[in-house]
Amino acid sequence: MFFQQLVNGLTIGGVYALIALGYTMVYGIIELINFAHGEIYMIGAYAGIIAIAAAQTLIAGGIPPIAAVALALLAAMLVCAAYGFTMEKLAYRPLRHAPRLSPLISALGVSIFLQNFIMIAQGTRDKVFPHLFENTVAFDLGSVRVSLIQIAIIVGCFMMMALLHLVIQHTKIGTAMRATAQDKTAAALCGIHVDHVISVTFMIGSLLAGAAGVMIAMYYGLVNYSIGYLAGIKAFTAAVLGGIGNIPGAMIGGMILGLLESFGAGYISPEYKDVIAFSILILVLLIKPSGLLGENLAEKA
Amino acid sequence: MIRIAGMMLMMIMFGSVPAWGGETILIGAAGPITGDQGKMGTDIANGVKLAAEDWNARGGVLGRKIEVVEGDDQHDPKQAVSVANKFVNLGVVGSIGHFNSSCSIPASQILFDAGEITQITPASTNPQFTDRGLSSTFRVCGRDEQQGGAAAQHVLKKMSVRRVAVLHDKTTYGQGLADEFVKSLKAGGIEPVYYGGIVQGDKDFNAVLTMLKQKDPQVLFFGGIYPEAGLLTRQAREQGMNLTFISGDGTIDPEYLKIAGPAAEGALLTFTRDQRKIPEAQAVITRYEAKYGPFGAYSIYAYSAADILLQAIQRAGSTDSKKINAELHKGEFKTSIGTVRFDARGDISESPFVIWRVDGGKFVQLEETP
Repeated sequence: MFFQQLVNGLTIGGVYALIALGYTMVYGIIELINFAHGEIYMIGAYAGIIAIAAAQTLIAGGIPPIAAVALALLAAMLVCAAYGFTMEKLAYRPLRHAPRLSPLISALGVSIFLQNFIMIAQGTRDKVFPHLFENTVAFDLGSVRVSLIQIAIIVGCFMMMALLHLVIQHTKIGTAMRATAQDKTAAALCGIHVDHVISVTFMIGSLLAGAAGVMIAMYYGLVNYSIGYLAGIKAFTAAVLGGIGNIPGAMIGGMILGLLESFGAGYISPEYKDVIAFSILILVLLIKPSGLLGENLAEKA
Repeated sequence: MIRIAGMMLMMIMFGSVPAWGGETILIGAAGPITGDQGKMGTDIANGVKLAAEDWNARGGVLGRKIEVVEGDDQHDPKQAVSVANKFVNLGVVGSIGHFNSSCSIPASQILFDAGEITQITPASTNPQFTDRGLSSTFRVCGRDEQQGGAAAQHVLKKMSVRRVAVLHDKTTYGQGLADEFVKSLKAGGIEPVYYGGIVQGDKDFNAVLTMLKQKDPQVLFFGGIYPEAGLLTRQAREQGMNLTFISGDGTIDPEYLKIAGPAAEGALLTFTRDQRKIPEAQAVITRYEAKYGPFGAYSIYAYSAADILLQAIQRAGSTDSKKINAELHKGEFKTSIGTVRFDARGDISESPFVIWRVDGGKFVQLEETP
């Protein structure tokens, strides 16, 4: 049971971590809690379903499952990056120098707008992600049973996080992002195009959320317009737990939250799983207000 | 203003409904006619309209023409109250509706207070609808505990199992259903190996299923609606659990089959009898489908509810609500869903629930009696 709950927890934790990265990257760079980020994840799931449906209708004889997954991921990442870019340009950039509360309210507005837009465009009924694979069991040891999708999600999440780490630490745009996060004015003085860097940050965060959306849609097989809300809250929590603004923190926070939920539900009570997870979150924040890996942000706030 | 005017009208009309009826007899048809449950309300309204039409073709009731007024509650209890007030103001002789228990219950109070105006619901199963002892409320569908009982009887009598796990979604409907199932199960000598709630809207039940797996249940009963039911069925199969999934009428929806996929095969659900197998219903079904297209889960029930109301008016020989209610309580009614008798509470005396099974990606009724 322990190992099974560990796998369950890592699967859901990996997804929380991918979404949490978007929150933390945006916060790190412009100190905005982008409440519409959960909606981007939801849009990613829809984009994946639509891409597969389109491919299966357009291509005679259908497409192989692996190609379908790749296509769904690609479509979701592209669509979400476009949404992220547009969202920043229309709803946040004009408020760059406004009081801090204004972009926050704007973010809530974008969230409500996107949720209702998808509700009207796609309907209120649940959408079902096609069952692509016949046999999804990777290995089965009696008490422990791990599906291919679980492995794919865990591996996929770690790969994306590693890739993101490389981009941020070892590329020009990553260096620019870190510089902008430290001090926007100084970065601009050094010749960094700050607006451009912020756009890229939004796009990277959004494409990770889009990938997370497809993974979850595939895992559960079910999507509706309201899934972004709960996932967004959980991922935001994960980001705060790890220390908001800190990228490794978001990854660790997501994993910890996933494991807490899974073990809490398995060993204590499934009804109280959210209560348990959030109680521990409050405890951690009482002892370490800046989160597990967070630095003291007093001078920024 | 409208509210005050409505209250004044209500006061003027209180007790004077019968004398006010005029030439036509008005009956209300209420339910969520628009919105995401719009199909349910439309099905009810169509059933009532068809019944009125059939009666009018035979010369109406008490020699007067029957007219149907629709009331759209948008599955909102507040709207249901204003629909009931509208019906009172228009002077309806009876109301057929609503769909949701949360709408039927507040509406029944308004109708009762306005002179015990008869209300027959074709679809609301919550016990509270008739348990408040109002003389004017009736239902032609079953009650939640009859449903839980039917499932438990099936487990006890038709399946040789000992280990039963029970989950519910913590809603009035879901937990109520699960509780009634457990009650009957315990009376039959089986103690559930697990009883607990999940969160409605949640997508990941792997943690609770992993824990259940330790107890190795042969049956998983779920009180709730189809999205969670579908996910539970699917995730239980993915975890390699070999069990029979059982749930109630909230799960009997094509979406359940889509969400659960192949894992749904063999799942058992409690629901009313297959209307295509009720001999009395066939003529009504044919006429209904010719006029409105395929009938919904409660179309024929709405037709029968209206039919029963009109029969009671005929027998009472008047539109006096108290006399109509008395007729409903004492008589026996031949309808398109079979012969109906009401007990003292206003519920039908025989449990209408039978067991259905998912077979080859379709819902199929198993037997006539559970």
